[in-house]
Amino acid sequence: MTVYETDVPGVGRKFELEIGDDQRLVAVLHHDGKRDVYIRPSDDADSEQLFTLSGDQARKFGSILEGAYFQPVELDEVTVPLGEAIIEWHEVGEGSELAGDSLETASVREKTGASIIAIQRGSETIPNPTPDTRIQLGDTVVTLGTRREQSELEALVAGEE
Amino acid sequence: MSEALVEVGIGLAALALVGYLAMRISLSVIPAYIVAGIVVGPHEPTSVLGLSLTLVPETEFIEVLAELGVVLLLFFLGLEFSVDQLLADRRRILTAGTADLGINFGAGIALGLLFGLDATTTLFVAGVVYISSSAIVTKSLIEEGWIANAESEPILGTLVYEDLFIAGYLAVLVALVGGSDDVAAVAQDVGIAFAFLGVLAVGAWVGTAVLDRVFAVDSDELFLIGVLATTTLVAGAALTLGLSEAVAAFFVGAGFSQTEHVDRIEHLIAPVRDLFAAFFFFAIGLTIDVTVISTVAGLLGAAVVVTTVTKVVSGTVSGRAYDLSPLRSLRTGIGLVPRGEFSLVIAALALGASGQVATVIPPFAVGYVLVMSIVGTVLIQHSDRLTDVLVPLLPGAG
Repeated sequence: MTVYETDVPGVGRKFELEIGDDQRLVAVLHHDGKRDVYIRPSDDADSEQLFTLSGDQARKFGSILEGAYFQPVELDEVTVPLGEAIIEWHEVGEGSELAGDSLETASVREKTGASIIAIQRGSETIPNPTPDTRIQLGDTVVTLGTRREQSELEALVAGEE
Repeated sequence: MSEALVEVGIGLAALALVGYLAMRISLSVIPAYIVAGIVVGPHEPTSVLGLSLTLVPETEFIEVLAELGVVLLLFFLGLEFSVDQLLADRRRILTAGTADLGINFGAGIALGLLFGLDATTTLFVAGVVYISSSAIVTKSLIEEGWIANAESEPILGTLVYEDLFIAGYLAVLVALVGGSDDVAAVAQDVGIAFAFLGVLAVGAWVGTAVLDRVFAVDSDELFLIGVLATTTLVAGAALTLGLSEAVAAFFVGAGFSQTEHVDRIEHLIAPVRDLFAAFFFFAIGLTIDVTVISTVAGLLGAAVVVTTVTKVVSGTVSGRAYDLSPLRSLRTGIGLVPRGEFSLVIAALALGASGQVATVIPPFAVGYVLVMSIVGTVLIQHSDRLTDVLVPLLPGAG
């Protein structure tokens, strides 16, 4: 995936991106921020202009394409005082010694320090599981603990072999 | 003072009016600005329906505005001159650019000899007909969408080559019109011109770090004034020493081109350039007596026909050097036909000369640019008709 850059005197800069089958996306960035985007179906074809964006529109659209665009987080909703703890999701893998055990037998909390706060089974979620809830192969356990505790638990759950 | 203000006001009003009309019919503003100067200037037409049209005389004030236009045009040429591009693609740019130079500059020399012009005048004619208009060409590329096509590569490559050539060429021309008839003295002047080029090139190279630091100011106002001051001072110093102010400005621009200030300059100073460049085209129009253009009609007519054809031919050759198809090669040629601002910079140089250069070149160049800027734009807009006919005639057409 090569990007070709060319200066366009008096206008700005042109970028060409190969997108397979001889096709190229061509973007012309004007000094005033305007972006023209073209597609060129093959080396020897006339390009077709797809759209023109202002600088602001282009930056927003670019971040959407990049997968980096999310609605800003409402800060007052995430004041959960977890301290150093984090919540993680672990899948119970083949060969995990926890599979088939009840939470009481598994005694994850004693072994690792992290505690299981929910179990996701298929499309169903069991919140606040009781000591006699059994862990099954393929479950995803949701756990609360520090990074170190989480990594110890991960070893237990994933069934390292 | 009140007179000067009214004159500048009339000039601006004329520029705005014709500029608007040119945009409406999708033509370049350059010929329109020249026409504005011709109409309100001291020469024919002097009146319409009994109303005087000699509204704006050639004053030193307007000359200074025009001179700033030349300096800023060349400053931006240097600013946008891409050394990296030239080096990265040197083989193809060299081939395409040399074909362009050989064929079109060569055609200019042939025309000069054919019409019995002296050596210096011939060299001026060659420059005027050789150099394409970056402004009109790139604007047309954007408007026609060719910018995203394969033909834009040889077109932009050729412009880079022409830019570099014009810097050296102008330096030599200034030495040639310096006044001495003695061959040894001229040779010495040309030598000094090249030494000057060398110093400026090194200055541009070394100055980058200094410019980066000195112009890192927050205030847009100070930045604008500082950049203009540097450019104008260096250009003025060059002119005082009998060297080309335009070439000096080119290298100041080249010095800035490697700094982090390029975008800021494009934002803040391009509008200033547009204003003064408009005055430059206007001032050229003021100095021209259209009735004098008829004295060079033969040369003008021959040049228009011959150099339209040679640009299309040289461009087609350049396109082939880039391995383009016959259609795209032909479009490369058509795309480079417009001539404009740089032909006029050469003409402005001739205005200050003496002898045949001063009588032939200004009317020739103005007439030539008026025709070629319009012919070039129209050819690009209607290139389909031309390529439909010509492409089947080219070797290698499928």
